[in-house]
Amino acid sequence: MKTKVILSIVVFLFFGLILAGCSAMGKGREEKLQIRIAEQYGLAYAPLQIIKEKKLIEKNLPDIQVTWRQLGNTAAIREAMLADELDVGFMAIPPFLIGWDKGMEWKIACGLSSSPVALVVNKESIKSIQDFTQEDRIALPQPGSVQHILLSLACEKIWGDPTRLDNLLVTLDHPDGMNALLARREVSAHFTTPPYLFKELENPGMRQILDGKEALGEEFTFIVGVTTAKLYQDQPEVYDAFLRALEEAVDFMENNPTETIKILAAAYQIEQEEVLKYLEHPDMAYSLEVKGVMKFADFMQKNDYIKRKPANIEEVIWDENDK
Amino acid sequence: MKMTNKTSSYQKIKTRLFWVIVILVLWEIVAQSGIFPAAIFPSLLVIARALENSIVSGEILLQTAFSLALILQGFLISLLAAILVSSLAAGNKMFNGLVDTLAAIAHPLPGIALLPLIIVWFGTGTTSILVIIVHSVIWPMILNIMTGFKAISPIYKEAGLNFGLNRFQIIKDILIPASLPYVLSGIRIGWARAWRALISAEMIFGAVGLKGGLGWYIFKQRVFMDTPGMFAGIFVIVLIGIIVEDYVFAAFEERTVKKWGMI
Amino acid sequence: MGNDLKQQEENLIDRTVIICLKSVSKYYRRSQETLRVLDHIDLDIYQGEILALLGPSGCGKTTLLRQIAGFDHRESGSLLMDGHEVVQPEVKRIMIFQDFNQLFPWKTVIQNVVYPLQVNRVGESDTANREIALEYLKLVELTGFEDSYPHQLSGGMKQKAAMARALALKPKVLLMDEPFGSLDALTRIALQNLLLKVWQETGVTIIFVTHDIQEAVILSDRIAVMGRETAGIKKVIPNLLDRPRVVGEAGYSEIYGHVYSLMDINPTK
Ligand SMILES: Nc1ncnc2c1ncn2[C@@H]1O[C@H](COP(=O)(O)OP(=O)(O)OP(=O)(O)O)[C@@H](O)[C@H]1O
Ligand SMILES: [Mg+2]
Repeated sequence: MKTKVILSIVVFLFFGLILAGCSAMGKGREEKLQIRIAEQYGLAYAPLQIIKEKKLIEKNLPDIQVTWRQLGNTAAIREAMLADELDVGFMAIPPFLIGWDKGMEWKIACGLSSSPVALVVNKESIKSIQDFTQEDRIALPQPGSVQHILLSLACEKIWGDPTRLDNLLVTLDHPDGMNALLARREVSAHFTTPPYLFKELENPGMRQILDGKEALGEEFTFIVGVTTAKLYQDQPEVYDAFLRALEEAVDFMENNPTETIKILAAAYQIEQEEVLKYLEHPDMAYSLEVKGVMKFADFMQKNDYIKRKPANIEEVIWDENDK
Repeated sequence: MKMTNKTSSYQKIKTRLFWVIVILVLWEIVAQSGIFPAAIFPSLLVIARALENSIVSGEILLQTAFSLALILQGFLISLLAAILVSSLAAGNKMFNGLVDTLAAIAHPLPGIALLPLIIVWFGTGTTSILVIIVHSVIWPMILNIMTGFKAISPIYKEAGLNFGLNRFQIIKDILIPASLPYVLSGIRIGWARAWRALISAEMIFGAVGLKGGLGWYIFKQRVFMDTPGMFAGIFVIVLIGIIVEDYVFAAFEERTVKKWGMI
Repeated sequence: MGNDLKQQEENLIDRTVIICLKSVSKYYRRSQETLRVLDHIDLDIYQGEILALLGPSGCGKTTLLRQIAGFDHRESGSLLMDGHEVVQPEVKRIMIFQDFNQLFPWKTVIQNVVYPLQVNRVGESDTANREIALEYLKLVELTGFEDSYPHQLSGGMKQKAAMARALALKPKVLLMDEPFGSLDALTRIALQNLLLKVWQETGVTIIFVTHDIQEAVILSDRIAVMGRETAGIKKVIPNLLDRPRVVGEAGYSEIYGHVYSLMDINPTK
């Protein structure tokens, strides 16, 4: 009995020390000028490559230390921001709303891009989502992703039931999803974005049967930039520098197409002609404007993906009142 | 004899319970201290409520059943295959060399590393998860069983030969029971690896339809940022682990090798 | 007494040979030299006798016994049982090892005895096999321990169980490799007496390896003395003492002395 008491005290002390260490580490971080930004893979993030290459944030705020991280999925970005390892994350609107709903102290700072996002099928027999059978499988990145919400929107429009196709879903990230679609085994559809979308459509027999705009019923910003309250309120000069850099990057892309293509080809390791082809796609656009948030929020709240919705757009986008 | 056995297992449960309570208290202290945001480190009550909800809705039970069915299938396939392969290897030098080489190549390969290949070959359905489980389990199992066969005192085999046993009887009635302590530790390692493989595979594959298993359940809670729900899923995994270890493996050991005085 | 002796000697000569070794050799090859453990051994074993194989440690007793059992290949020579060449272990020659752990630990005592009976389809049914097993366990005085596991038995009891397991198969020959070698003196005497009782009841032929001269004299009809240098059998001494034998009775020390003199034990050296 005695040894047990002593042992448990030792265990408690041990954990206590670890915890003390953890919190000390958190506080010990110097309040230096820095910004930590997370992106994901894809052409939708093109302006960020320009910022990186041209060092646009450093240009606006010379002493700043910029850290870039590429993460595999939105959940990881969210968790990193929660753990105070990131200041800015780029993601689609639905994952942002899920975090906001759960009480994360963050808001949208800017839009980044609109992009084609579409459902590609490999079967002649499927002409619309009504043609899916129980044997078909639809691959998409994960539940709660923009692709999933868009598919649910389309389902709701047709059947009044957003979960109608949920039991056909297979969760695969974009590269695996593309391979599965092209293998033509069980997966017969893939909800994806460029460059995977374009690559899939180059293959014979692949057709697009639904696109994002059609599903939501209006244009929307595909990727938004989200920042923590901490960055916006405690380091306004960093926030401003970041936003200015983004504006400059978008302008740069418009005014210097040749150099832009060179930079992007190097960043994504693809041919320049290909980059050009992608950028010229009519649905591919880069802008800081944010569109479609409320429409997503309405739908997600109505169908229980989130519990509350913003009363007005200011609740989810930073503005002067937040300072 | 019986008395001491009972008291010792009672003692074991008591110790187990004691440490579980210590860990839970620690958890609650950390959760209440606010060092970490509640979205990362929820309190026990919140987790318990999430668990209750998912039990009431039936979802976690469904996913657990799905995972258990898969792991049992994969596990049985692996066990039988491992016994078959090891037995053949025990009888044939060339085959033994082949199995040895294959095990040396495949054993250190994590199943998840093979995932892209497995998707291409077997698709994304339950077959692929089974393949990953079998891959994770079969190699440690074979290595253990083969070591067990080698460690058997030659007297048992010679006595068997003397009594006129044929090859099959020697394997079934002498080699396997005589190496049971090794087989058992192979089963234990295999089970732990199978669980890991299963949960990771489910997390990566996601659901086919609504059923994706516990790994999928946890992943889904993650993407919808339901941290208490995530912990509820993890809690179920831990619970199953303890039950299997204390009540299945330990009981089996009690009834076999311990009763036989082999360990 | 003199008449008796003559009578017994004649009986011996009359006996049928059950196992016949002709020029049996067994070598172990080591890195440099070849170890000639058995070099052209000739030996006849008679039906129903107890033959003691006696010799110093390392002289090749176990090697010879394993040859007779059929466990090992031989270099040359022929080893016949009932006129047939011995090439593999058979149920008609059962080996009992010195190691206490020859019972299968995962079977109870009775299961250990029943299992070989089942394999060889001795009894008509499982019940019949069980009956046979019980009978032999009674013979070796292990009644009451049928359902114990081997690890719950003492060393002597384990050897008794091994004897029951072997005898239940009704072998023609029992090959015993120092079965009582690791037992204490008292238990050993008890088991020797038990072995004699069993032998008298079953009439089985026994080849009994030992390095204990007293044990050889008490048990055997003949003593084959092996020597290290000769790599074979030095001499086979008939042992015609009346049974039951007692250490120190008339004639005992004579035979003991004879065997002793053959064992190359030189106290002055
Ligand atoms: N498998 C083997 N390989 C090489 N040499 C062996 C092997 N088995 C036995 N020997 C050698 O053969 C000789 C005879 O061994 P054996 O076991 O027959 O002796 P033993 O008379 O039974 O001795 P002990 O009374 O100690 O049991 C020994 O010198 C031993 O070293
Ligand atoms: Mg020996």
